[in-house]
Amino acid sequence: MKIHQKLHQYIFAASVVSLQIPASATAQVQELNVQRDTISTYLKIQNKGIVNNALDVLNGNAAGVNVTSNGMDRMAQLSSVRVRGTTSIVGGNDPLVIIDGVTSDIATLSTIYPADIESFSVLKNAAETALYGSRGASGVIDVKTKRGTGKGFQISYETNIGLEAMSKKLDMLSADEYLATAKRLGVYANNGGYKNNFYDVITRTGFVQNHYLAFSGGSEQSNYRASFGYIDHNTIIKTKDYNNFVAKIDVTQHAFDNRLVGDFGVFGSTYKNNDIFDPQMLFYSAACQNPTYPAARDVNGNWTKNGSAYRINPPSAVLAERSDQKEMYFNTHMRLLYKLAPSLNLSAFGSYSYTSNENSEFCPTWVWAQGNVYRGEFKKQEYLGNVSLDYAHTWGSHTLAAGLSTEYHYLERTAFWTRAKGITTNEFGYNNIGATASRPYGATGSIYEDQSLASVMANASYTLYNKYKLTLTMRGDGSSMVGDDHTWGFFPSVSAEWDIKKEHFLSGFDGINTLKLRTGYGRSGNLGGISAYTTMNNVQQTGIVPVNNTPTVTLGTIRNNNPDLKWETKSTFNIGGEIGLWHNRLMLTAEYYYSKTTDMLYSYDVPVPPFAYDKLLANIGAMSNQGLEIGFSIAPVQTKDIDLNVSLNLSFQKNKLLSLSGNYNGMNMSAANITAIGSIDGAGQNGGDNNHVLYQIVGQPLGVFYLPHCTGLYKDEQGTMKYRIEDLDRNGTIDFGDGGDRRICGQATPKATLGSNISLRYKNFYMSLQMNGAFGHKIFNGTALAYNNMSSFPIYNVMKGAPERNIVDQNVSDYWLERGDYLNFEYLTVGYNVPVKSNIVRSLRVSCSVNNLATITSYSGLTPMVNSYVVNSSMGIDDKRCYPTYRTYSIGVSVQF
Amino acid sequence: MKHKFFALSVLALSLSLTSCLDETPKDQIPEQNIYDSANNLYVNAVASLYNYIGAHEEGEGLQGTCRGIYDYNTLTTDEAIMPIRGGNWYDGGLWQNMYNHTWTATDTDLYNVWKYLYKVIVLSTKSLETIDQYKALLTDRQRDEYKAEVRAVRAMFYYYAMDMFGRIPILESTAQKTADIRQSERSEVFSYIVNELQTVAPLLPLEHSNLQGNYYGRVTRPVAWFLLAKLALNAEVYTDNNWTDASRPDGKAILFNVDGTQKNAWQTCVHYCDLIATAGYSLENDYASNFAVHNENSKENIFTIPLDKMLYLNEFHYLFRSRHYAHGGAYGGASENGTCATLHTMAVNGYGTASPDTRLELNFYTGRVEVDGKYVTLDDGTPLQYQPLAVEQNLTASKYIETAGARMKKYEVDRTAYSDGRMPDNDIVLYRYADVLLMKAEAKVRNGESGDEQLNAVRSRAGMPSLAATLANILDERLLELVWEGWRRQDMIRFGTYCEPYDIHTPSDADKKRYTIVFPIPEKARELNPNLAQNPGY
Repeated sequence: MKIHQKLHQYIFAASVVSLQIPASATAQVQELNVQRDTISTYLKIQNKGIVNNALDVLNGNAAGVNVTSNGMDRMAQLSSVRVRGTTSIVGGNDPLVIIDGVTSDIATLSTIYPADIESFSVLKNAAETALYGSRGASGVIDVKTKRGTGKGFQISYETNIGLEAMSKKLDMLSADEYLATAKRLGVYANNGGYKNNFYDVITRTGFVQNHYLAFSGGSEQSNYRASFGYIDHNTIIKTKDYNNFVAKIDVTQHAFDNRLVGDFGVFGSTYKNNDIFDPQMLFYSAACQNPTYPAARDVNGNWTKNGSAYRINPPSAVLAERSDQKEMYFNTHMRLLYKLAPSLNLSAFGSYSYTSNENSEFCPTWVWAQGNVYRGEFKKQEYLGNVSLDYAHTWGSHTLAAGLSTEYHYLERTAFWTRAKGITTNEFGYNNIGATASRPYGATGSIYEDQSLASVMANASYTLYNKYKLTLTMRGDGSSMVGDDHTWGFFPSVSAEWDIKKEHFLSGFDGINTLKLRTGYGRSGNLGGISAYTTMNNVQQTGIVPVNNTPTVTLGTIRNNNPDLKWETKSTFNIGGEIGLWHNRLMLTAEYYYSKTTDMLYSYDVPVPPFAYDKLLANIGAMSNQGLEIGFSIAPVQTKDIDLNVSLNLSFQKNKLLSLSGNYNGMNMSAANITAIGSIDGAGQNGGDNNHVLYQIVGQPLGVFYLPHCTGLYKDEQGTMKYRIEDLDRNGTIDFGDGGDRRICGQATPKATLGSNISLRYKNFYMSLQMNGAFGHKIFNGTALAYNNMSSFPIYNVMKGAPERNIVDQNVSDYWLERGDYLNFEYLTVGYNVPVKSNIVRSLRVSCSVNNLATITSYSGLTPMVNSYVVNSSMGIDDKRCYPTYRTYSIGVSVQF
Repeated sequence: MKHKFFALSVLALSLSLTSCLDETPKDQIPEQNIYDSANNLYVNAVASLYNYIGAHEEGEGLQGTCRGIYDYNTLTTDEAIMPIRGGNWYDGGLWQNMYNHTWTATDTDLYNVWKYLYKVIVLSTKSLETIDQYKALLTDRQRDEYKAEVRAVRAMFYYYAMDMFGRIPILESTAQKTADIRQSERSEVFSYIVNELQTVAPLLPLEHSNLQGNYYGRVTRPVAWFLLAKLALNAEVYTDNNWTDASRPDGKAILFNVDGTQKNAWQTCVHYCDLIATAGYSLENDYASNFAVHNENSKENIFTIPLDKMLYLNEFHYLFRSRHYAHGGAYGGASENGTCATLHTMAVNGYGTASPDTRLELNFYTGRVEVDGKYVTLDDGTPLQYQPLAVEQNLTASKYIETAGARMKKYEVDRTAYSDGRMPDNDIVLYRYADVLLMKAEAKVRNGESGDEQLNAVRSRAGMPSLAATLANILDERLLELVWEGWRRQDMIRFGTYCEPYDIHTPSDADKKRYTIVFPIPEKARELNPNLAQNPGY
């Protein structure tokens, strides 16, 4: 293992972002002194070409970790992470993020400047996640940021500058083809006299620049580090851009003969994002707007609209919709570590975080009758305090490590928002909400919410002969949000490790350099499905009615109350091992896990009457996940001039919704065995049962395609083509309904995912290529279904080839269900470490990269990288909202003084 | 020793920390805090129920939004239809199943109707319990009046539930266990509702609910009388527990106790119609004024859903749903190009004849549409022209795929409406006096008397010549006068035409067995409460 790591450090010696296994005990896990039994969780923060977001770094680098964009395809910003799949339906599945010991979230992590990160650890095994108790069920990402090195003054600067160009767009009929087709079909098409490709109208060459400056100084006794980062990204979509500014300062002071270590840190970031308000409306309009229509307004200031098209609008008018977000995050934290005795440490940690999020939306009257103006402010304050005691002692062949700690976490959320309509002019945007006519009841609101979590944790780990290790942990969590009878939940774990290489029978065997086996079992919880006060019988506004001629707000209960809510519990078992051969130049790791979520929260159906409302949130169902994760790395060539390293991780994952029914407080409760979660939207798809695509079905993985079976196309009486749907239940009629002629025909989540990196160094040149892939899943190509449907022509433009195919049918079926397998070349970077011989410049590196180089796939849509991981209405469905794919070309310079 | 220490620590910490885990919400309050005065008890236990008369969500509200009570009582009849227009309005066969009477117990929209009706029934029952619990805040008279109003609202929702589902459960209290909730025979539910309304009517204010003022939107005494008249008029249907056979009780033999006097169903209906007249209602000279943007001063409207885009949430989707896209666009909003009038409705209105009914023009768009002095045009520049006689169930292959069918007019267009026309200021008319006159005419005819006076009062207001008050004429008059008002299914069932061939409807197998005159108990409701028996036939 050592050699292997050195290799990496050697390759990227000049890189500011090199990996070091943190030596100092800075996070709770170290204090608890538990052996991390995850294999290769430390990720290499390599030169990835342009990195806009800390989540980019995780992408493809850890087995069982999928980074995705919530509801959008991967071309949009990454915003969600799944660790070993989905383990809860309503409970929230984003992993817990711990940044330097501070509990945080994915949103905050994505604002950290990637170069500030020293290491990521993805905790997913039983014993590791059990340590995080009621919040660990979805996995934990433990992030260490860089601190002072104590090696005197250092300063470094790095920058990346890149251009982005659209690399693929959908081929729609050109203006000439559009008119010719209308003529041939004998239908009237408006000729606006223009020849537009609206993809070109809404896109531009994107530009991205990142700058990062860090300096550190001081001695071993007392040191500091400060850094500033700036990311500015003008996306390929006109007027849409974002930027992120971060600053960070850390100070470390040793005192009292090094018995006391104090760490103090401040982190702040501001993030501004001018996002697309309605991606489907924008990209649908860009594809389907009549290509003979003008791109801009006419001389009278009017847009040329197609009156009969109600799902699309002039693309430039849609671009004028705004959805802007400003997020400010501030954190300060302090840790004091005191060595009470040679083997006993006492540590105290405190942290305060403040997040402010301002959302603003504006839709002009060109797109929304009366316009739409929205402003919202969401604030969050979080306090965290932790005191822990650690003990570690070795005598003879015995080593004992133990820890005890207690923690209190308090979170307060407040929000205020207002939505208004009735605008007289579009010029104010969202900046003058006073110039609107109407802010009716329900459009303005504010909330206050607080929650607290108290925890006690204990652990003990015993090692014999330095080769057998047994670890026990226990966490007790008390939450304010669960029912009064369930305040405390306990989450134990046990794990064991056997370092076989240290056994006598292998000590003389030089072929094997590492051989370890480990296993563990533990429980963790999920509170995400409950929000504050859910268990209380409280009232809020129920509506507004005239009372004595005055509009009056009435109060009452708004849902069935369940005072017995508790945690979802996830039990995990894992077993794995690693083997290192050829002086660890060949490493192989494998791990199998099985987890089962029980007491799963879901809104179950209850009878009306006697209930007033038809749903009751309760803990009943169960879900399982299992998988195999394999890591492989080899350094086939390792000479003074050439290093070649190939690494690969492969994970197989299988999810199953086991049950959604059971007895609850003497009452049989169940949810529907078949529930639609995703459907096709758009012209001619007016709700109803017929356009559902993705389902949640008990006994199946979450998110399966359940579709009518199309046996082919046939020509109807009008001479147009239709999908021939099989009468699966042979009852003589075709029923598109949920229980009708449908069958399960694939899952949206990949059965296997792959991440692979090839790095090569030749003297001072180096090259790195990253490939990610996903296999075994399907994608519903709703875009092709809609853009090939000639019944929407000429109101909506169609794809090239659609007039020839002559399909006049928009029913969903497995006809447009395609294999989603892909292998994507994420980036290729070529760099040069400039050999500088200067007292001032310590190292200089230049590089150039291409991100999103190419994709190998049989999928016929724009990109197979749609949302395949986050279970929501967009999962597995390519539905007219795909960002045009783009490639980024960038150069980078990094210099250290 | 370690474990002991651990156990003790856990105990000590648990005790000290648990107190930090109490919740103290600030944006919601405990339920008892909202019942702190007589006024707040009225607002939160009584007036709060009026939130559910109208709606802004599909499947809810007595009228206004789609896929709810109104659609199941309108698009299942000879009055209106939602044809398939190419890719639009197929919706899994929902609308075809309505028109063809081929709905099933698993239809989610039907279950939504059930849930909506019973939500209000449960919340009303809870309000009664709340009023009793906090009666110390009230005078005896206040308590009686509050409870009377709640019981009247609840009776109204039982009435709709019984009308649609036949055998339904009567809830005793909100604490009742699911296992104890069972259906009653339709006649028992009917008697219960009549009794409730008769009991509480004297305690309700004798005021016009449609007028803006202290009683705006409330269930007042005339509203209860109107319901009693409807119940009496349909008593033959509602007291028939075996509705699949061809026979039903004779209205003359169904006896009501009206203020101590025994009256048969028809006399009872006439009695309550007359009471309504004494409360000061009369026909407006101008039919259309009842549906104007500002129709709050109508002396004809009895019960309405208050709409005000600036103040309330209630929406009205039917104009929006019916008009062609270009037609809605011409008003600066949008439209969905869906529902239209049937061929039967056009025929009864005399469309295409030399002397159509005057209300044809008031209730329907039948040809070209003029907005701001210009014809509304389609994308190709030609004028939009509705084709009232081109209606088919599936228009996909029709030349008039988008334009077939006369469209809903009835309500004055509110050019300032929000939400693409879904939020106008016209109050939705639920009950009005013209219906009272037609009810009285019918009851008299059915009782062997003449109903000419009442029938022709309605006709002459519309500028139409007199007709003899035969049952057939009355059924047609109800279509002419009350079209788009949500009564047609009930009328057809009462007149026995619902299961017969009409318009382009051929009776389904279920129609032939006559069980379609009630809807099935939704399968989901039965799954959650296995006590509930399915209606015969389903």
